Amino acid sequence: MKSSQDHLIEELQNFMDGDLEHFQTLGKKIIKAFKRQQRIMEQSDRRQRQEYDQLQDKLIEVEALNREIEETQKEVVFTMGAIGESRSKETGNHVKRVAGYSKILALAWGLKEAEAEMLKQASPMHDIGKVAIPDAVLNKPGKLNEEEYQTMREHAQLGYEMLRYSNRPLLLAAATVAYEHHEKYDGSGYPQGLKAEEIHLYGRITAIADVFDALGSDRVYKKAWKDEDIFALFRSEQGKHFDPKLIDLFFDHIEEILKVRETYKDQFD
Amino acid sequence: MENLHIEATKYTPQIDLDAETGVLHFSGKSYPENTFDFYQTTMQWIKEFFEQEMITKSRLEMDIIYFNSSSSKLFFDLFDLFEEAQEKGHTITVNWLYDAENENALEAGEDFKEDFESLDFNLIEK
Repeated sequence: MKSSQDHLIEELQNFMDGDLEHFQTLGKKIIKAFKRQQRIMEQSDRRQRQEYDQLQDKLIEVEALNREIEETQKEVVFTMGAIGESRSKETGNHVKRVAGYSKILALAWGLKEAEAEMLKQASPMHDIGKVAIPDAVLNKPGKLNEEEYQTMREHAQLGYEMLRYSNRPLLLAAATVAYEHHEKYDGSGYPQGLKAEEIHLYGRITAIADVFDALGSDRVYKKAWKDEDIFALFRSEQGKHFDPKLIDLFFDHIEEILKVRETYKDQFD
Repeated sequence: MENLHIEATKYTPQIDLDAETGVLHFSGKSYPENTFDFYQTTMQWIKEFFEQEMITKSRLEMDIIYFNSSSSKLFFDLFDLFEEAQEKGHTITVNWLYDAENENALEAGEDFKEDFESLDFNLIEK
């Protein structure tokens, strides 16, 4: 369909072809049309400016909200990790080191930065299930008997139950880590006795990170193992307790791992 | 003459043209890809409606919350049709509906009202 301007152009053409009588009317119409056009443009410019301003304001708002959500999530996750920690014999920096080692291994495995970072944030919650373990078992000085040991082992399942109903990828990753960080590559771990690739990568990674840190740290009840002894154990457990490929990656990236350990080393007064 | 009904889409308004009551209603958004093509049927219908002179009184209800520049241009053409019909003796009322929070809709309505002084053009807050 032709717009009224198209008609004017047509009329102008007719006029130029010799129809002088229409001159007055046509001139008025053209002027009117131009004025209208001008007004439409002004209106449109005004509106565009407003719309763009609004859009920018909204964008700033959304970005701030996003940051808020991310920060809240990190804080909640970290607090939950701290709660788990307070129920374990591990020290404050243990979860930070495990988080750091886990990310290094995840990146070495080939996971993208975002997923590796998610695992880093999720791994501090690996022992969250310990909040539900009775004090008598958790704080018992000395060796646990078989029954107590079984109770203690329930923390993996309990942690999983606490986190599994979330829809958040981060909490679901944490659920997996809590559930599977005591599984062993050869199937002799708990709670499910999963084997090899049946164990989620997150579980396989956290297992190495957790054990490496536990062995390499001084505790009030034990001295840290020497690195060479830990490395010897890791080599002998390659394919038994631990994923053989991940152990190779662990040694490939040992310098980075030791750097994390140094950064977050425990301070005893 | 048959009534014309066009369902709203994401980019175009709902249009209800009633030949018996003379109520012509537009509501929604108007930013079609090709504005003049989209409104062709509507404009044709309105021209015929005025030509047939079945009734001599009609009311245009414009409840447009958002529109692009070419729709603005088309609305000028639309009001031209109403102005012409009025000059021929038809009684016309134009109601431009706007939301109190929608400054742009009000400003545009004021602009049209100013341009069509002879029309009974009402700005109505919803």
